[in-house]
Amino acid sequence: MDTLFTNTNLSHDRLPTISTLQFMPLGRRYAPLNLLCNLSFFLVLMLLACAIRWQPWFAVPQWLDAPFPYLLGTLLLLGICLPTYWYLADKRKGYALREQDLSFKSGLLFERIVTQPILRVQHVELKRGPVERRAGLGTLEVYSAGGTLHTFAIPGLPEQTAKQLRQFILSHGDVGRDG
Amino acid sequence: MDKDPADTPWILLASEPGKWQKLSPIAILYFAERLIRQLASQFIYLLPALLVGYAQIRDNPGLWLPVLSALLTLVGLFAWLSFHYYRYRLYKGHLQIRSGVLHKKHLDLPFERIQNIKLEQPLYYRYSRHVCMLLDSAGSHKQEARIYALAQDFAERLKREILRQGGTTEGQQADKEADPAVTEQEKLLISRSVPDLVVHGITSNRIWIFLGGLAPFFDNLFALADEQLSRLGLDLDGLLNPAGQAWWQFGLYVVSLVFILMALLTLLSIAGSLIAFYGYRLTRSDDRYIRRSGLLTRHEVSMKLSRLQVIVRKQDWLDRLIGRINLKFEQLNANIEHTGAVAVSGKLMVPSIDEVQCQALIDDIYPSNQMAQIRYQGISRRFILRNGLLALLPFAGLTGILLFKGESQAMAVCASAYLLTLALIWQRWRRWGWAVDEEFVYLRKGLLGVDYYCFPFPKVQQTKFRQSIWMKPARLCSVTLVLASGGQTIPFLPEIDGRRLIDISLYQLERLKASWM
Repeated sequence: MDTLFTNTNLSHDRLPTISTLQFMPLGRRYAPLNLLCNLSFFLVLMLLACAIRWQPWFAVPQWLDAPFPYLLGTLLLLGICLPTYWYLADKRKGYALREQDLSFKSGLLFERIVTQPILRVQHVELKRGPVERRAGLGTLEVYSAGGTLHTFAIPGLPEQTAKQLRQFILSHGDVGRDG
Repeated sequence: MDKDPADTPWILLASEPGKWQKLSPIAILYFAERLIRQLASQFIYLLPALLVGYAQIRDNPGLWLPVLSALLTLVGLFAWLSFHYYRYRLYKGHLQIRSGVLHKKHLDLPFERIQNIKLEQPLYYRYSRHVCMLLDSAGSHKQEARIYALAQDFAERLKREILRQGGTTEGQQADKEADPAVTEQEKLLISRSVPDLVVHGITSNRIWIFLGGLAPFFDNLFALADEQLSRLGLDLDGLLNPAGQAWWQFGLYVVSLVFILMALLTLLSIAGSLIAFYGYRLTRSDDRYIRRSGLLTRHEVSMKLSRLQVIVRKQDWLDRLIGRINLKFEQLNANIEHTGAVAVSGKLMVPSIDEVQCQALIDDIYPSNQMAQIRYQGISRRFILRNGLLALLPFAGLTGILLFKGESQAMAVCASAYLLTLALIWQRWRRWGWAVDEEFVYLRKGLLGVDYYCFPFPKVQQTKFRQSIWMKPARLCSVTLVLASGGQTIPFLPEIDGRRLIDISLYQLERLKASWM
């Protein structure tokens, strides 16, 4: 008789639970760097608006000229509020690795925990843009058969950690098990 | 004895493996049809040119003949070239296709990557007994292949050969299928008669999609109808002028007109249903479900049971009234990963069946499911509050403007519209339900109609837990279980249940390591 196989009832309380996940913070430089990028983006928008308003080559139409101070004011307000909100949200982002799955937590007003079982991973990509490369960071993208809408991505990982995570997933016995 | 035409390529394929094969010349028709379709879909870009040259066209009405002839000659030439440059072969467990006239393509598709094989038979292939074979892979849509014209029997054998050389399970399956005695055992699960398809045409909501598509042309259509009716002695403007007659008379005309229009569009919908599902047969051969249907082009879609991701039992309000159900079997999501024609048929639908037939089919696929009996848990009433408040925003803005302008009647209409929206939100909340058992997750949702979803735990690809700061004090959350056919979300369920649902889903698939396909 097969003595290895057991099939005892398991109470829900004894299951591993996502409630006790211990999240690790992202790279220390990720949140400030993102803040800088976002602030720069709004600054560029404001400079662009000013350049169009005060360029010497053609006269700006009246319908655009009149609301200009409001437009600049709105951009300034958005440029302060949104990057601040994003910065605070970035500080709360974190990932948790268990033996069988990888989770990513994000969101300030709307908290979100995505869990990707390693068994269902199709392939892994480590992406590093020019800014991330300079800061020694990387984004780990994990693809499942759930489609591009549900790509699981952990941004702002220190390069070494990202590589280790990728290696962990690739060398996991279950990855690509069922295509 | 007559030589079976299907045997010729088969013998070639068997005796000279790896030798590049040509298509049957009838494929030229298929290439030409595809080209004409592509041209027609690009027609919209030609419209500005036609408008600019309208005066020229009007002055030279005879011009269309040489233009059309030139166009058809070009299409014919290109179709012939496409046929001429198309080669395929089976080589060391791979299907290889070389194609393209100007832009050369070489496709290499390993058999084990082939997910689905579909045989399609356009009307003009029916007399020469040819089919087009479409092969779908698990990779990107670039990995889809078509073999444009194969003799039907040969295609069946080739399909078996590919499946046999593919994975182990499929291989065993194909071995069984290769045995004619076993092939005979294909069991008919359900067929659809013409009256059933007429019912489906009436109940499916294609009318509104069609109306939406026609919206930009309403003005022209009304003008045309007006002109035609005037010729018949009916004065549409006069009939529809409320000042010229009693209100009941006017109302009657409007209602009759709407009914006539609806009847016409319903006829179109019935025609659509007949074209898509004529001769519908769903059969089962071991763990493979095969759907065959189509009036003009015969489609054959086969689905391995393990590839099925979710069963959807759909009932619109009209379906509910007459007790009909549309049952859908969803495989890999066609809309997200794949954009090709093959994957679009990833959904396998059984149109307009009754309760008993529906239950029999669901039980045939998942014998232990409890979709019909299980007790569904509702979601929190906060769903109504959240959506009610969100819907209030535009209504409040509009009411404010109307109040400012002193339009009390319009305000009353606005308030009624908001109340109606609230009633719909309440109805949507009432429909929401979810349940789990040892093996399956069940969802119920809908508005006027009701849809049931059922999928086994191992089909889950990813889980998402969501909680806003407004949900937190009420200890509520939303959970999304992502399947290969798309995400299934349960909103506003108790946090403890949401976490448990995720825990169970992860445990089931991580512990049991069951395959999802």
